[in-house]
Formats: sequence, C-alpha cells, structure tokens
Amino acid sequence: MADAISPLKGKCVAGRHGADGDAGVTLGSRNIAGLWQIAGWRGFKAAAAPVLAGLGLRDGGSYRTAESTGSATAWRIAPDKILIECAGRLEAETSEKLAVLDLSHSRAVITVSGPAARDLMSQVISVDASAAAFKPGEFIQTGIHDVGVLIHCTGEDDFDILAPGTWAEAVWEFLQDNALPHGLAIKAMTG
Amino acid sequence: MKRLSSGGRIDRSRPFKVRFGWRFLQAFEGDTLASALMAGGVSVVGRSFKYHRPRGIFSAGVEEPNALAQLGKRAQREPNARATTIEAFKGLKASAQNAWPNRRLDIGAAAGLLSPFISAGFYYKTFIGPFRQSTRFWMICEAFIRRAAGMGKAGYAEDHSNYEKRHAFCDVLVIGGGMAGLCAALAAGRAGAQVILAEQDFKLGGAILAQPLDDESTDWLNRILSELEVMQNVRILTRTTVFGAYDGNTFGSVERATEHRIDAPAGSIRQRYWVIRAEQAILATGAIERPLVFGGNDRPGVMLAGAARAYLNRFAVLAGRKVVVCTNNDSAYSAAVDLAHAGAAVTVADLRRNVSEEAAFPAEVAGVNILRGHGVLKARGFQKVASALVAPVDYQGRATGPARSMAADLIAVSGGWAPAIHLWSHRFGKPAFDPGCQAFVPTDEPSRVLRAAGCASAAASVQETIEQGFARGAEAARASGSTRDSGQPPASVAMGSYWQHGLSPVWSVRKSDGSFKGKAFVDFQHDVTIADIDQAHAEGYVSVEHLKRYTTTGMATDQGKLANTNALSRMAELRFMEITQVGATTFRPPFTPVAAGAITGHRHGRHFRPTRLSPIHHWHMRNGAKMIEAGAWMRPWFYPDQREDMRAAYIREAAHVRGHAGMVDVSTLGKIAVQGPDSAEFLNRIYVNGWKTLQVGSLRYGVMLREDGFAMDDGATARLAEHDYFMSTTTANAAKVLAFAERLLQTAWKNLKVHVTSVTDQWAAIALAGPNSRALLGKVSDSDFSREALPNNRIAHASINGVDVRIHRMSYSGELAYEIYVPAGFGIHVWETLYAAGDEFGLIPYGTEAMGALRIEKGHVAGPEIDGRTTLNDLCLDGFASTKKPFVGSVLRNRPVLTDPKRPSLVGLEIQGDTGAKPGSLLFPEMSDHKGHGDGWISSATYSPALGRNIALAFLKNGKQRKGEFIKIVNYVDNETLQARVVAHHFFDPQGDRQNG
Repeated sequence: MADAISPLKGKCVAGRHGADGDAGVTLGSRNIAGLWQIAGWRGFKAAAAPVLAGLGLRDGGSYRTAESTGSATAWRIAPDKILIECAGRLEAETSEKLAVLDLSHSRAVITVSGPAARDLMSQVISVDASAAAFKPGEFIQTGIHDVGVLIHCTGEDDFDILAPGTWAEAVWEFLQDNALPHGLAIKAMTG
Repeated sequence: MKRLSSGGRIDRSRPFKVRFGWRFLQAFEGDTLASALMAGGVSVVGRSFKYHRPRGIFSAGVEEPNALAQLGKRAQREPNARATTIEAFKGLKASAQNAWPNRRLDIGAAAGLLSPFISAGFYYKTFIGPFRQSTRFWMICEAFIRRAAGMGKAGYAEDHSNYEKRHAFCDVLVIGGGMAGLCAALAAGRAGAQVILAEQDFKLGGAILAQPLDDESTDWLNRILSELEVMQNVRILTRTTVFGAYDGNTFGSVERATEHRIDAPAGSIRQRYWVIRAEQAILATGAIERPLVFGGNDRPGVMLAGAARAYLNRFAVLAGRKVVVCTNNDSAYSAAVDLAHAGAAVTVADLRRNVSEEAAFPAEVAGVNILRGHGVLKARGFQKVASALVAPVDYQGRATGPARSMAADLIAVSGGWAPAIHLWSHRFGKPAFDPGCQAFVPTDEPSRVLRAAGCASAAASVQETIEQGFARGAEAARASGSTRDSGQPPASVAMGSYWQHGLSPVWSVRKSDGSFKGKAFVDFQHDVTIADIDQAHAEGYVSVEHLKRYTTTGMATDQGKLANTNALSRMAELRFMEITQVGATTFRPPFTPVAAGAITGHRHGRHFRPTRLSPIHHWHMRNGAKMIEAGAWMRPWFYPDQREDMRAAYIREAAHVRGHAGMVDVSTLGKIAVQGPDSAEFLNRIYVNGWKTLQVGSLRYGVMLREDGFAMDDGATARLAEHDYFMSTTTANAAKVLAFAERLLQTAWKNLKVHVTSVTDQWAAIALAGPNSRALLGKVSDSDFSREALPNNRIAHASINGVDVRIHRMSYSGELAYEIYVPAGFGIHVWETLYAAGDEFGLIPYGTEAMGALRIEKGHVAGPEIDGRTTLNDLCLDGFASTKKPFVGSVLRNRPVLTDPKRPSLVGLEIQGDTGAKPGSLLFPEMSDHKGHGDGWISSATYSPALGRNIALAFLKNGKQRKGEFIKIVNYVDNETLQARVVAHHFFDPQGDRQNG
C-alpha cells in the first residue's frame, strides 16, 4: 500500500532561508499516526473513560492543558469533545453514548521551534504566546491567517500546530514568510 | 543658525552626510533631519499647502506642521514625513515637497495673490454653487482641483519592504518615555508587573533631552534608565509611536524598526506594527507647546520656544543669534536663558505685565532684555524672519502704543502648552477645558484603565510630574494584580517653570482695532488663517466640528496638535463665549500618520487571504490545468489541449465525458460528519425531505431552507452506520451549513444527541462520470459495481490499489457516475491509479467549466440558482418537501409572497442562433418593450455539446405555463438581445436512463 502524502510534502524541504546567523526559527512537519475525535453528550466523562484508560490517559486534560503519554496525546477541544492522537484505531469504541470520528487525514502538523519561535507566534496569533502565558503542555485553539488551528506548546520554545490539511500550505507559507527575518531553517519531515 | 562646537546629545565622533534635495548636509549620530537642516543653515524647508508660502522648521517633535519632507524614492517613497522626527542616518535622502521648481523659488506661490478669493469653502461655493442643476461643471473642475491638492507624492510601485505585525500583552503599558513615563514604568516594574514602555523618539528622556547636557537632570535620567534597563519584566520600545487607543485597552503602535539604518540586512523589518493589549495603561505623552497668532507668524524663523531650546541643548544648533521670545507664560524663559548663554542676543516680549521673579531673575542675570506687556505684532522678512515688530499690548494682546522694529532672525513663541491627550480622546471622547492651565485635560474616566500622568494631565511642576508618574505606575501595577511594593519615587530635579505659572490666556497679538497686521495663521499646515475662522463664523458655523471641516483646521497630520486651541479661542471670542462653552473636537486615530504597509504586514500578495488546496491540487498543476478561484479554493477550470482556449476545452471535455469517461476533483465539496443517536431526527429537521427511512448504505439528495423559507443549500447525505451520516454540501456553503447546524444544536435543539464535524479535510473526492466509468472501476477494484450490486443512490466500500475508499453511486452530470471518497493522504494515489488505468476507457480529467456544462444540460441546480432569493417552488423542488413533519423554514416558506404562482420559476432556455447568453441577462416577452426588470433572469448558461446549441437555466414568471413560448433575452451590459424558446430545465436525459443505467 502506498504511503499517505502529507499536504506539506512539497514544503518540508530541508534548507536555510532568511536572515543570516543562527536560525531563530525552525519549521518542520511530522506525520500523524492517527487522529481521532471522541464526542458525547451527558455522561461523556463516563463514556470516554474506558477509551482514555485504554490509551493510558487519565481524563483527557482540560480545555487548556493537553494530556500526553508516550504514545498518545489528548486535547479537550470542547467540553464534550476530545481529540486524540494515537497509533491505534478507535472506531470500535462507537456507541450510543460516544461518537468516534477518524480525522487522521484531516490535519497536518507544522512544528515550530527555536529561540525566536515565540516571537513568530506573537506575529501570527492574537493570543499571548509569552513563556509565562503559554507553557509547555498547554494548547490553544485559535487562528493563523484566518485558518482555525490547534497549537500545542511541546517545549520551552517548541510548538506543534495542527492545521486543516487543505489549508496547511497557506498556513505554512504565512509562517515561513513571517519567520524569514529571524533566520529560518526548514527540516525534512519526520515520521 | 549654526552648529555649536560643543554640547548637545549628538555623537560628533560619528559624522555623516544626509541629502536634502541636491544639498548634502553634515549630520551626526543623534541628529534628526530637522536639526541637520538647521545646522546646515536651511531656513526654507518646504512650501505651504494652499498658498505655497515659504515655511521653516517650527517645532522639534511630532507636531511639526511645516517641515514635511518627501523620503525615499520609487516604491519606498514616503510623503509628509516630519523632518523633526526623522532620525538622521548615513544615506538618508529627503526632499522638499509642494514646491516647483524648488522650495526657494516656487511658482505655486502665485496662488498667494489669489488668497482673497480662495478662502474657506472656496471650492464648494465656486464650483458647485452656480450650477445647482448639474454636477457636470464640478466634475470637470474636480480633476484640476485634485491635481493641485494633496501634499507630497506617494508611489504606485509595490513596496517590497518587510513589514511585520506583532501582538503583545502586558500588565501595564506606559506610553511616553519622558519623566512621568519613566517613573510610571519604574514603579510598575518594581512592583513586578509586566511592563511595556513605548517611546516615539529614538531616545528616552522626553523634556530632559532639551535640558543642557551638564544639567542635574541628565544624571537623574541616567539613574532611572540604568534601573529600568536591567528589569527583565520591562520591555522598552523606542522609535515606537502609539497611534491609537481602542476598546479593550488595545493600542495600535508602529515601531520604526530599521528604516533609520542604511546598513540594515536585506529582508530586515522596516516597520513593525504592534497590537498591544494592556490590563492598564499610563498616558505619559507630555504636552505640546502652543503657537501665538500674529501677522506673519508662519514665516521661517518663527519657532516654538521649547523647540529652539531643544535644538540648542539636544542637537547643539543655535537657531538664531538675534532672538525675540514672545510668550504668555513662564516656560519660555528657560529657552531665553539657554539661548542667551549660548551667545544669542535675546529679548523677551512678554504679553504679561507682571512676570514672576522666579522666571525673570535668571533671565536678567543671563543678559536677557525683558519687555513686559509687549508682544510681537508681526514677523517681517522675505523668505525668513529679518525683524520683529514689537508693540506694547493690553491684557487681550491688543497694541496700546506704537510698534518698533527689532532686528531678529528667530522669533521664539510660547502660547502655553496643550496636554497631548489624543489617545485618551480616542477612547473616552471629548476632554474637559481647565481654565487654570488654559488647556483641555482628561476627565476622570470610570474604567480607570488609562491613567494620565505628568504634563498629559497638566502637572504643574517637575516634582508633580515625577510623583504623578510614579503613583500612576504603582496604581496600575496593583490594579493588574502585582503585589510588590514600588518603593519611593525618585527625587525631583530643578528644570525650570511649567507653563501654568502666571499664564495669561492671551493667544494673539493684534493692532489696537483688533485686526491683525498681515496674514495670521491658525493652522500652518492647511493655511487656515484668522480670516478663515472669521468667515466661517460669519456664514453661521457654530459647531466646532463643522468649523473644523469647513476650514480644514486641525485636520490631516496636525490632528489638532497645534491648531485646535487657537481656532477655538477665536471662535469663542467671536461668539462671546468661554472656550469650555464652545467645546472641543474629538481626536481620532492615528495620532501620527501610519504607513498602510505596516498595518498590512505580510497580508498582501499571496497572503492577501489564505488559499485552500485540494489534496489533488499538485497533480492538476503538474498536468497543465488552468486553475480558477472558487471562494478560497483553487480548482482546475479546464485542462487545455495544447493552445485550446477555455471554451474549446470545456466543450471538448464535456462531450468526451458523455461519450467515454471523465473524472473531476470534487474534494472541495463540503463534507460534514453527522453522528449520534438523534442524527436522523436532526436531518429530518434541517432538510425539507424525510430521512428516517434511509437505510444504512444508502444516500439521498436533500434540500435545506433558511428559517425565512428561502432555499439555503442542497447536497447528498449518506448513511454510513446506524448513527453515522455523511452530509455533503455545496463548496460555497460548507462553512455556512456547518455553522447553521452547530447553532441549532447548541440553541434550539440542545436535546438532540448529535455532533456535527467538518470532514472536508479528511476526504479527497473524485467524481467519475461517463458510460465507461463502471468498467473503469471494475478494472481498478475487485468489488462488484454492477447495477444490481450498486444501484443509484447506494454506497459501496472498495479498495483501489490498496487504498480503502468509499464509493457513492450518484450523478451530478446526468451520466452513469460515482463519487469516490478517499482518505486525503491517498487522494493523489487513487487519482493517479484511475488515470493510469483509464486510458483504454477514454478517461480524461475535466474541470469545473465542463462540470458546469454537464449539470446545466442535466438541469441540476447549483449556487447560481440557490442564490438566497429562490424558494423550493421557484426551483421546482417543492416535491421534495415533506408534508408529514416540520423542518426549518416549513412555516415561512408558505407565506403568500413565496407561494405566489406568478413568481419566477426554473425553466430551460434554448437560445436561438450561435451566440450564448450571459447569466444575469433579463427576460422579456417577445413582443414587449425592454422596460423594468422584465419577467425573469438567466442564472446559468453554457454551450451544450450534447444538444449542439447554447442553453441556459433561467427563472421566468409563470415559468411552468410558458413552455414553448419564445422570449427575448436582454443583456444591458453588452447591449445584446437574443431570442430563446422556453423548455423544461432537464435538457438531457430527462428520464434519467443514463444515470440509473
């Protein structure tokens, strides 16, 4: 079977762009092993619990803080919806109390890192991206260039941006052009 | 004017040249363009707007009305740059504007001879008034007036400079880096608040920078800066002008990041637009000195007293050797003393008879001649001041005795100071007039989020400025949640008197009869004179807002900085009122001009708006498709065969599909997952037709209405599992339908257990159409696609070249057709698999134009028909509406106006002749005149290869009863009339034999 093609395949070409000196920003992308949305109604917590437990997750985190294990990450994107990145398939968990949706091909991940990563964030989102306000492990749902994205702070100066696949190139290009004055490195896509 | 050999805050070890017109001027690091011009002896720096009068440098800051220069060239050309704020740097190129052939000899100055005829309102009265029946004369004149109007020239070429936008958040924003602002930042910073200190100058210090370098204030400044600069929680932004204050304590600011550096690396940010959201803000913007009004007060060599002091002490430029200082307050004495110490012969013509010893004594010690109760009646000279006509005056500034001429090359004026409260006014409207300081000041705004301090709130002394700034900073820090103690404020320093001391509210100097000796200007930038204000009053203008617009006083870059108070003073005088009764205008952003590029940032060119790409997009590009924008999407329009044009290509493509097979990328269709145990009920409510009988594995066409009964969207929805549906929408309405569904589920239908989620990005979609499509599918997949196994409106799961896909048997083209849904990452893989296998079946890719032609032939409605103005009845889709259940729009669709049988309804038109019709053309009965809106309109038109003629879909009054009738199609835009026969809108295969085959 063929490998799935990322919307960012043509963008993730390793190289160095923009201002001279050390690169302030590194852009990259990684493949998504699997992305699932579980959603419910009244009693969602109980309905979701076995699914989360099966992935080693506690409660799916809060609206601002993601929950991660080594192999799964959960983002509570609404009171009754959790987005889960994991390698397995979850459709068998569908029930009257739980709607399960495969979104594995719907998002592309843009990784942003480097000493100027937070500066870049402040250029493209109207949310406080300072270290004091946006800490590792936290996530926000906001817009970059009018495209709805989920941004997960994965380290002091590291971010994963989950962008809709059909918008991913536009978001990438916007990030790229904003990053050039900082000195931009692009790294090849990782698995 | 000359540069002194010592003193000032310039770095003489770093000299360079700047260019002004054809002159190269010596400058040093720390200079502004204005100080370099003055040091170079340039007295005439530009020409005025209307009369082209010679103008010189008047101020040392953002209030500058005269020294407006043209910077850069070509794409980076920037007009109306204030020379007083342009940082001098090696390579700076500037030129005078509004003058031809040059600033010293300007032919436009002849306009001054016409000044009696071109006063306020001249354009309107002259060019509109006499010709009230028609605007034609005005339109002719307007072209000439527009050519003459305007200052400077903007470029037409694209500006390739880099501009950047940034969002910043802080507890306390301090606007202004003078004494009050520095103290506010210090207090807030000590308290632990996150602070942004924004200063428009390239140096911090404000008024201290105009103090002598060896003054104790310099040590004071250095102490404060050294403490602030090491605070991690204080971010200092110099060269950053906060130009607007907005709701939510949001402030717009522009940082001149590298435009002062010729050595800036390529790609550097020229200007940075900061959107600052602050919990609390301190307005420490200082005050702007006010001019006095007298004859010839616009002549080069007339300058604000504070500016003359700034040029001396900051830039080491002596603005004049023979100086007459005219003032109504104590503050100008500091300038008089410093100028005298620098070697100038200084006379103070003080409009007041009583001058405080505190002001007078140091001046007299410095050798300044003080003429109490005197004023400058007129500034004399040709292109610059040569003498001042000084006369004794009364308490109103009227001459009480004979005037005498005093040789002078500089007349330094001070009419008091006006707090710079523009930003406060942006948020809270009109300020209050304080008679004590004769100035407009901020009122006590209830939200307490923007606190004025220092001269911006008319502080009366240095000590008060320091204490106010520190207190406001500490208060703001506390209000934003900081708990640490700010400690004690810095000690005060001696810096001379503020303007409030002994201020006399005299704003003009006139002859004994109250008239002015020569042209007396209120607004230098727009050439608004006292005579213009008088004329506006004589013509009945009583509102200050009307006065402003009629005379243009205080408009453009001035924004009331210099002109307002004197204009209001004159108006109050004419109306026998106090200024407070006359009122004030409301200031509006921006405080200073802002380059459009800075606000635009990266959002131009390819980033003007985001572009959405199908998962198969790059195949289309590689294979020569001509693309077309469809909303945010880029879609393949047609695939030209060599030099084919669009028409030839789509006709070929559409004909080919009917004869063989074609595939089109329909990934752009909106796709919504509808999940949950109440999904069928939800669909029942949102669509007009019934859904509870739809079996798993089937799909159904549906139409939905808005609440007002008009059609909103249509599409097919498939039932994938018991509680799992897959809804498709039109490309254009995908987001609208999803938002509509979300709103209903979160408001009116909260009890329904349904979730709707966009899966448009999850799936690539390929429509495979044509008589050979089944055979092609059979080749690439092992599944059974026979009519019996997969009839129309059923779905199948299959594998194509190892990829699991879902196939919907449905047709938009009227052909035997399938929609293949593929996980997006495999979209190109499956497309290429089909393409590779399709050769023997005559498969071609086709674009949206051919897709449109096919659907028009079939009579399927789309966006041009469901345009928000049509109903189910209009669209001939009323048969879909269930009578057994309510649905969105089911009540209001039955309004009499929407059920009137005379409403235009959908018909087909066979166009007579070889010329196709244009959508939007109007329909008229064959034997009628072309008047009014006719009987209907054309919504979609195409050439039909299947029928071999031009056809159209249209809406026609009583359409169902007019089949067979000939009508006229009138296209007013192209002045074209065609004839057509009304037919059923299902032109091709009306029985559906092909799609059901």
